Amino acid sequence: MTMSRREVIKLGLAAGTALSIPSVLRAQTASAAARSVHMVINGDLSVFDPMFTTTNPTAYHGLAVFDTLFSLDSKGHPKPQMVGNWSISDDKKTYTFELRDGLSFHDGSPVTAADCVASIRRWGQVHPGGQLLMERATDISKRDHKTFTITLKGPLGPLLDILATTSAPLPFIMRENDANRPATEQVTSNIGSGPFKFNHALAKPGASFTYDKNESYVPRNEPADGYAGGKVVHVDRVIWDNIADQQTALAALQGGEIDFVEAPPPDLLPMIASDPNLELQVLNKSGDVYFLRMNFLQKPFDNVKARQAMLHLIDQEAFLSVISPDPQYARTITSLFGNTTPYSNNENTGWFKKGGDPEKAKQLFEEAGYAGEKVVILQATNIQKFSDAALLVATQLQKIGVNAELAPSDWGGIGKRRTNKGPVEEGGWSIFISNWDDFSIGDPLLSSFVLANGDKAWYGWPKNDEFEAIRDTWADAGSLEERQAIARKMQGIWWDFVGAVLLGETISPTAHRKALTDLLAVPSGLLCMWNMQKASA
Amino acid sequence: MVIYILRRMISAIAVMAMVGIFVFLLIRLAPGDPAAVLAGPAATEQMVANIREQLGLNDPLPVQFAHWMLEILGGDFGTSIFSGRLVLDLLAQRLEPTLSLSLLTLALSVTVGASFGILAAWRVGGLVDRLLLVFSAFGYSVPVFVIGYFLVYLLAIGTGWLPVQGYAPIGDGLSRWFAHLILPTVTLSVPYIAFVARIARASMLEVLTEDYMRTAAAKGASSYAMLFHHALKNAGVPILTVIGLSFAYLIGGVVLTETVFNIPGIGRLVVDAINNRDYPIIQSVLIITSGLYVLINLAVDLAYTLIDPRIRY
Repeated sequence: MTMSRREVIKLGLAAGTALSIPSVLRAQTASAAARSVHMVINGDLSVFDPMFTTTNPTAYHGLAVFDTLFSLDSKGHPKPQMVGNWSISDDKKTYTFELRDGLSFHDGSPVTAADCVASIRRWGQVHPGGQLLMERATDISKRDHKTFTITLKGPLGPLLDILATTSAPLPFIMRENDANRPATEQVTSNIGSGPFKFNHALAKPGASFTYDKNESYVPRNEPADGYAGGKVVHVDRVIWDNIADQQTALAALQGGEIDFVEAPPPDLLPMIASDPNLELQVLNKSGDVYFLRMNFLQKPFDNVKARQAMLHLIDQEAFLSVISPDPQYARTITSLFGNTTPYSNNENTGWFKKGGDPEKAKQLFEEAGYAGEKVVILQATNIQKFSDAALLVATQLQKIGVNAELAPSDWGGIGKRRTNKGPVEEGGWSIFISNWDDFSIGDPLLSSFVLANGDKAWYGWPKNDEFEAIRDTWADAGSLEERQAIARKMQGIWWDFVGAVLLGETISPTAHRKALTDLLAVPSGLLCMWNMQKASA
Repeated sequence: MVIYILRRMISAIAVMAMVGIFVFLLIRLAPGDPAAVLAGPAATEQMVANIREQLGLNDPLPVQFAHWMLEILGGDFGTSIFSGRLVLDLLAQRLEPTLSLSLLTLALSVTVGASFGILAAWRVGGLVDRLLLVFSAFGYSVPVFVIGYFLVYLLAIGTGWLPVQGYAPIGDGLSRWFAHLILPTVTLSVPYIAFVARIARASMLEVLTEDYMRTAAAKGASSYAMLFHHALKNAGVPILTVIGLSFAYLIGGVVLTETVFNIPGIGRLVVDAINNRDYPIIQSVLIITSGLYVLINLAVDLAYTLIDPRIRY
């Protein structure tokens, strides 16, 4: 068989075309990939109503899908977000808010003042700041399509801070019909007015969730700053891949299958730092405060001496070396108001500051009349840091002769057991370990951790009337200086009655591929997805 | 035969009912509270109490059980407490990855394991037999996640030949589907190959020493005829039993592999549901899985009649 020159050329062209197809397809695939960002967040999104739960994944989901009236900038100051103009009356009792132009929900309907009023009322049922607002408000109502007012019994200095809170659940604005449902009923429509639309068709609970850019979103003109400023989305789609195993998540990051891991485990940080394609970046500089909470209602921690003993016993540096071995991502903390807030102070911290004094602790337990009662420490085995910290607490207590016993369970079990106010013999508890955002842990209006009103307080049920009386004055303080003075007083009392014992603070770096840039630094622990950009591979 | 099948089907319903009661009581008496998980770690007691009330968790256990049974009898397997989606929808979403992984693993394990075992028995004490002993010790003793991570670093991160993790539905293309399943299948197959090979070897060894095999050899039967016509047919029943049990185990027991390779299958659905105390999912999956176990065992029992004509029901 012979072939003419023309046939050879035709065959060559055909082969060339065929061979070029994969590269064309690859180019298209690469381009699409550059417009999509795959993220692994810390935890699984299982609740879609951002007012229904305090979990972080739901708050992240809320930040993507919904919008807020005010937002915190990177310094933690409240800035208008959905609100265009606002004013306050001379007697400081009436706030008037006007929505900015162009706001619409994902179903196309405009955002109205009625939506805002209903949303605030719903949020007011579940959030400590919202509850305070509802207590202090005489009227929250719309004036016209875009304007609504909040009228108060008296001045409420931190009103804008309350509306801009990043302490979950956040005051997201929902459609009036959704917001009119009780806060105890989940709203699962996922129709907000935020910069991303939730893609229901691609939702695979437990596997992945997809957020598409909201093309109709009108961002503010200011540059993005923390949660405030213009929420400009530079990618078409963000996909949350739920990768339960951290090692697998890191392998996928190294392999380029995902772009971002929110909370890589501390022992893998050196490996990430040494990879030329990856970068570690601290987005939330405020960190997480780890603490142990004691049960004020039962022996031995119903006695203040036993609680003070714990302050002397705990050596934060020892804890930090276990839960966050790299010193650049760990620091000690003694202020009830965190390390990074304007209210952080050193009032009444000198006496226990060093900790790690087992002899003093032993003496205080004796003074408390400790007679060998069982101390049950709830150990969350599925949260490594909590589990390690619980183990260390138990060991240190046993060393000074305290009859400490671990009660291992997953967090689901602890969530139920910690509601038990009874003695340990009846399924109660003595100590559990948890953490809280540095930014909000001590905020008297936003944090339930800091309540000391007995039965109404957070688990552990601390009670101190003097502390509560001072905490009540916070809302009436008109200036930062006044609130700082109140913070010092509160902290002075707190460390006398020992509402909790701090174990240290960790700062968690995120890991991402270097192609992913312009991730936003934020003042608290909630992740936002606007502003970031992704270069083509 | 028909009566036998009917009897087995009725017993399957009884087994599922027993499993239902046991699971219902087990998960409710175990520590944990879906309301507390739903509300999150920073939630107040009031928030948790409100959710409990709304979910009906404060109702007496018999009331909750009756409510659930009525739903099941009406064909309603309930709604996930967390995602608010129908449990059957969630199961349907997770069934394809688990079935794909299980069937591929079974195919690979049976093909390689049975061949390996037969060859080892045929040349007992030889190189293949010794290799089998070494491999089965390896397959039994090395954890699946170690093999998984090793393969990921070797064939996915190191070379980029295969995906590190995830699952591509078969509808996205056969090659993508297969590429995502190669590493998990090989990983999961290692212990099963060892298991099937050991059983096949033992069964074959027993059969090969039977009188009729000696007779066949004396009559001049070829090695092929002896091995596959005479020996394998008679050694088939225990091998089939192992395969049936393995498949039933694979359906619900691939959690670790699904986790290492991030495959959204039924195993992970159940683990997540247990962590969250998502009662409707746990109850439904366990009931359906128990029914599946019974059906697979029935299929295996019926398959015996094809291999061994002496067995009749």
